[in-house]
Amino acid sequence: MIIDINFIGLIIASIMASAVPLILASCGELITERSGVLNLGVEGMMIIGAISGFALMTVTGSLIIAIFGAMLAGVLISTIFAFLTQTLITNHVATGLALTIFGIGISAMIGKNFVGIPGKEFPVLFEGLKDTIPLLGPILFGHSIVFYFAFALPFITSYFLKKTKIGLIVRAVGDSPESASNQGINVRLVRYACILYGGAMSGLAGAYLSMIYTPQWIENMTGGRGWIALALVVFSTWNPIKILIGAMIFGGLTIIQFHMQAIGVRIPVQFLTALPYIVTIIVLVVISRDSRKIRLSTPSSLGKSFHKDN
Amino acid sequence: MNTNLKISNVTKIYPGCVANDNVSLEFNSGKIYALLGENGAGKSTLVKILSGVIIPDEGNIYLNENNLKLNSPLDAKKNDIGMVFQHFNLFETLSVFENLIIDSDEERESLREKIDTIMKKYNFSIDLDIPVLNLSAGQKQKVEIIRCLIRSPKVLIMDEPTSVLTEQETSELFLSLKKFSEEGILIIYITHKLKEVMQLCDEVAVMRRGKLVSVSEIKNENIESLANKMVGQNLKTIKKKKAKTSSDQLIKITNLNFTSEDPFETNLMDINFSVNRGECLGIAGISGNGQSELFQVLSGEIISEKNSIEFNKNYIGDLNPQERREYLMAFSPEDRLEQAAIPQMKIFENVALNNFKSSNFFNNGLINENKIKEHSKKIISDFNVNTDNIDLKSQFLSGGNLQKLIIGRELITSPDLLICFNPTWGLDVGAINYIHETLIKINEQNKSIILISTDTDELLKLSDKISVIHKGKLSKIMNSEEVTSEKLGILMGGAN
Repeated sequence: MIIDINFIGLIIASIMASAVPLILASCGELITERSGVLNLGVEGMMIIGAISGFALMTVTGSLIIAIFGAMLAGVLISTIFAFLTQTLITNHVATGLALTIFGIGISAMIGKNFVGIPGKEFPVLFEGLKDTIPLLGPILFGHSIVFYFAFALPFITSYFLKKTKIGLIVRAVGDSPESASNQGINVRLVRYACILYGGAMSGLAGAYLSMIYTPQWIENMTGGRGWIALALVVFSTWNPIKILIGAMIFGGLTIIQFHMQAIGVRIPVQFLTALPYIVTIIVLVVISRDSRKIRLSTPSSLGKSFHKDN
Repeated sequence: MNTNLKISNVTKIYPGCVANDNVSLEFNSGKIYALLGENGAGKSTLVKILSGVIIPDEGNIYLNENNLKLNSPLDAKKNDIGMVFQHFNLFETLSVFENLIIDSDEERESLREKIDTIMKKYNFSIDLDIPVLNLSAGQKQKVEIIRCLIRSPKVLIMDEPTSVLTEQETSELFLSLKKFSEEGILIIYITHKLKEVMQLCDEVAVMRRGKLVSVSEIKNENIESLANKMVGQNLKTIKKKKAKTSSDQLIKITNLNFTSEDPFETNLMDINFSVNRGECLGIAGISGNGQSELFQVLSGEIISEKNSIEFNKNYIGDLNPQERREYLMAFSPEDRLEQAAIPQMKIFENVALNNFKSSNFFNNGLINENKIKEHSKKIISDFNVNTDNIDLKSQFLSGGNLQKLIIGRELITSPDLLICFNPTWGLDVGAINYIHETLIKINEQNKSIILISTDTDELLKLSDKISVIHKGKLSKIMNSEEVTSEKLGILMGGAN
């Protein structure tokens, strides 16, 4: 059997494409969690992004409006979460779960009219360069703008957290909101901003699914990717670069197990579908087991409500 | 330039308590002022008002005749008031430099230079690029002080700064504070330690129950006069009678080790000691040197090797706290509201937590409420807990009353050994006296105590033998008559 080298390139590119929504949502949630807020509503925000993007694209015909509209929808729904947890001091876990259930429900309701409508083709960049380099060509070129953004995002996030003043403030708030407040930092404002940013990224991840990855609307089309994104954040020990690794492994195994099923490997299908989840978690646990580093990068106040009393 | 800070008619009322009752005070730079009072006297509230953390209900603050509106900590900073809190306001997982740059508007390089200059000037040496959680308490405090000095403050407020320091670190701190004062920074020093006031300050203001009781110059005061002003009554001094030396060994620890995976915890290395009946063994040390791990190993929260702990001729190293209690050990942990009692539960429910097979608190899996309540009432009356409502939630008891309840709960079964960890931490003088008397009584009944404490005076008062724990290692065990607080201080700092 002769395997075309460009075919391998295409497989790798498809693995990367399937990792995109995970990277986007995880990097957004990472910022939220670094500020000490645990938002379990990622799945809900993603699916809202998915339906908003698809609906806006169908109605307005503008891809730009659709992409930004999906992000805005993510921001709006996360504003509900922010208002509840930061202003009304509700429990993060319960509110996040409610957000997911709400998101899935409302997206199904809005989406009724959009089932079966074909999506639009999303423009790709550097299409012509695809064949210029063997193997690398299909990996590097011919993708959407969102794809490139997703693979830059972990590095941007890492730089933001480590090198910028605002990143420092986010980490400080997550480490000790009491100390931050006593230093004159507006904890609530910082956390609002981080939650809204997380919402925008989840919205974008959803829009990528419904507009670029599989351009159509199917009910519940995020299929648990929001939960995987959440798990990636925790198992990567809040490290954006490890999120990238985890998302690639997860995406890779998902694609490979499809191919294995197609070839007809005699392994139970259930096991193959479970494989990406198991392996991703094992790998991330193994690469993140330094307890000292975990202690240093875990936001100490994660999931705890902060209430400034006077 | 002279700095004048005036507090005028400040009142702050909380539901059920007047924290500051019409307090007026005036401070001038060039002097070090002490603000003295017991816990709950209102000094912390007053300094929180000065630092903008709390907004007063009434009254004004004037700095050099300007009426300050301090609505947030930022306002205090902008008005050149620096504050070092008792509980550090540092970000443990961020590096020292990140902690310092976070509220500064300066560029990285110029800030680094500024910090270096400050450190050189006052002889501080701290690695700026390691995370704060790796620093000792004394170093953390220096980081807090540097943070204030970066802004060249006119006023520097220190809230109970020595509670976490060694004697050596304390004297270093005093030297720095005197230097700051000479340079024209107005220093307000909050404490309840009388010795320090006499050592360091020029003037002293005493607060009691939210009110300002007196303002006077140190040269007109002595320790007794200040103590009486602070408490509002004449204190009796308690003293322990020398215990008869018994050779009847009750507990023996042999080659006990504990290695933790948590970088925040201290490893215990090769712990060996024994306690005889009727004896009190004191374990001194600066907090964070393995005391809490040692307490957990002794109480069974951390299980160790079976043979490493021998109690009453039984090997009990692998037993859990419940099983150890059945062998007549009793425990009073450091954190009353987190470890010793459950704050949201009622007094009698907390009593029932200390459950013995013989106490019959439960019948066939059902709670025997009458039995527990009867038992609780006995504890409350025997141990002077100031409430008659056993249905009260424990969180509404004052620290002193809660500690009495816990010690009472532990002692009512007349255990052979009581292990307590900082039993008088944060209590007022009256409650401290009561706890001390109770502990002395235990020894008089030929029962034993292991007292782990960070309060050297308490240890010298109560112990028959003393050892010092430093970085998880115990020093040799000394007779308490041979020991002075200076000697303990040196050992606590890690010297031999």
